[in-house]
Amino acid sequence: MNLKKALTKDTISLDIKSSSKEEVIEEMIDILVSAGKIKDRKSALNVVIEREKKMSTGMQNGIAIPHGKTDTVETLVAALGVKSEGIDFDSIDGKPSTIFIMTISPANRTGPHIQFLAEISRLLNDPATRQKVLTAQSKEEVVDTLQL
Amino acid sequence: MDHIPLSFATLASAIAEPAAGGGAELGHLMTRLILQLAVILVASRLGGGLFDRLFKWPRVLGELAAGMLIGPFALGAVPLPGLGPLFSAESGPIPLSPELYGLATLASIVLLFLSGLETDLATLLRYSFVSSIVGIGGIVFSFSLGAMSAVWFGVADGFMDPRALFLGAISTATSVGITARLLSEKRKMGTPEGVTILGGAVIDDVLGIVVLAVVVGMAKAMRGGEQLDWGPIAAIAAKAIGFWAGCIFLGLTLAKRITRVMKMFGSAESIAVLSLGIALLMAGLSEMAGLAMIIGAYIAGLSLSRTDLVNELQERIAGLYSFLVPVFFCVMGMLVDFSSMRGVVVFGLVYSLIAILAKVLGCGLPAWLMDFNLKGALRIGAGMLPRGEVALIIAGVGLSTGVIGPDIFGVSIMMTILTTIIAPVILLKSFDDTSGVKANRKQVGQEVECIKLDFPTMDIAEFLMTRIRKAFRNEEFFVHRLHADLGTYQIRKDDMVFTLIQDDRSIVMNADKHYQHIARLILLEEILSLQDLLDSVKQMKSPDSMGSELLAGLFGGD
Repeated sequence: MNLKKALTKDTISLDIKSSSKEEVIEEMIDILVSAGKIKDRKSALNVVIEREKKMSTGMQNGIAIPHGKTDTVETLVAALGVKSEGIDFDSIDGKPSTIFIMTISPANRTGPHIQFLAEISRLLNDPATRQKVLTAQSKEEVVDTLQL
Repeated sequence: MDHIPLSFATLASAIAEPAAGGGAELGHLMTRLILQLAVILVASRLGGGLFDRLFKWPRVLGELAAGMLIGPFALGAVPLPGLGPLFSAESGPIPLSPELYGLATLASIVLLFLSGLETDLATLLRYSFVSSIVGIGGIVFSFSLGAMSAVWFGVADGFMDPRALFLGAISTATSVGITARLLSEKRKMGTPEGVTILGGAVIDDVLGIVVLAVVVGMAKAMRGGEQLDWGPIAAIAAKAIGFWAGCIFLGLTLAKRITRVMKMFGSAESIAVLSLGIALLMAGLSEMAGLAMIIGAYIAGLSLSRTDLVNELQERIAGLYSFLVPVFFCVMGMLVDFSSMRGVVVFGLVYSLIAILAKVLGCGLPAWLMDFNLKGALRIGAGMLPRGEVALIIAGVGLSTGVIGPDIFGVSIMMTILTTIIAPVILLKSFDDTSGVKANRKQVGQEVECIKLDFPTMDIAEFLMTRIRKAFRNEEFFVHRLHADLGTYQIRKDDMVFTLIQDDRSIVMNADKHYQHIARLILLEEILSLQDLLDSVKQMKSPDSMGSELLAGLFGGD
């Protein structure tokens, strides 16, 4: 699976400013908008929030995977954000979330969309990899760690 | 000057006559072949159906019996008005026309190509240890006892006599299809015994073909009947194994690239046709390398079995398979010369008994020494004992190359029939609800994660099954129904393989631990999407008003 195409340096932020779940989602969407990956900010934001309403995407060990599907994107787009202090993301284990992976994928096109999320979550399930991403000094380091 | 036109006329007629004569002969040959095929198709279908309905025996046996009945040594020899005998016994090792035998050869290639496609290398690697030992035990016992029985009965001069080697090889290959059908009917496929049998059968397939490769190589070198020294034997074995291993390595390495190129042709039909072309090419190359054609066909199938095209290919080839394979079994039955079997009936019975004992002991003993109790070991031994298509193909190769005579060929058919009839009887008796695993052992196959979801009604489970299959297809997985009546699906992409089963109100997904996160996330998203569906149902008009609209005016007549 080609993680490299979807996640590039311009969609990685090692310094997430927000301090609430809603703000993080907006900030991540803005990263994708600034990188030119999303044209319709409103609809992308809407699908991610709707998905969060069904069940929080805050997983275990500080990982959150907010995502959604909309036909306003042509292919899967992805962003990665880090906030080492962590914020409350209603995670399954109740721990604050520190690494955020956001994907927006086309609703009516086939492709390894959920598989992408699953693969990256599996990589971050390893404590050493997680630690490397959390303490990374540059975006290149994150790319190298995830072997993108 | 007159000579010239005369010469031309003579020359012209000399050319024309054989052509016209040859054309008529060819036309006659083709008419006979077409009529033979028509009779074979109808007889095999009737025979298969009759055996299935009357005795609940596998259709294969009915097809074999139909072949024996209509063959050149029975009804086929009866002259028909204007045609003569439909299947007159031809001279040479094969008592049938080369055209008809050619069709049976094509059928055996298709059969082994599909068998290779169905070989689940992932299963082989996953349940490696216990299954491997069980499979290897079965092969070693069957081969040695099969070959030795030939020596004991004076059929062969020694263990290295080609006839003994062929009888060993014929006794080796398990045909697990009958066992798999029984296990899935009794819902025992997922038991440790079921898993071990299926894993062991894969090893059996792979190693069985290697044994055949070596035996055919040796038999071809020993055509004169003389025995070989150990040096040339080792060279032949090394060549056979080298060809086998080299082709498998190349096949598995290049398979993904080849399928990528094939995908450029777009349609699934084109891909299936190209794949069959590859199988035939490999079969031909294998024969040219001094091995049997089916080895190349099996390697082609095995190589493509690791690609994501495998299920599409299986489905496309299935049509050709269902047409050709009954022809194959029927033709194999037709080769049985009853008169030549008079002197070998006792040997046939003993050989069959030895073939049964060899698998029960060869597979059961290692199972008993490892994870299973006596009952479990018996179940595994019984599950591995049916022989089928590969035994018949090897016997056919032996007959066509003149290594074995019609008597030994008949013995092989006898053994195939007896093991196929006896295996289900023992299996059904041995599979009750007691455990077959030793009390102090862990369950085998625990590397597979079992994800179970329970729903309030069967309707919801059924509905979700459809949605889940669609979700996996959307993620570009191939979804393939395994058993039409059981609601079991195999879902695969690259080397990821999941099994999706609906069991009443539950949905069960078996996933390799390494890839379970993908299965879990896709399942989660699908279940959450139900919320959208519920919301949209709420937006629907009330069922009452929809009902009224539907029925409006229907009973309004005065």
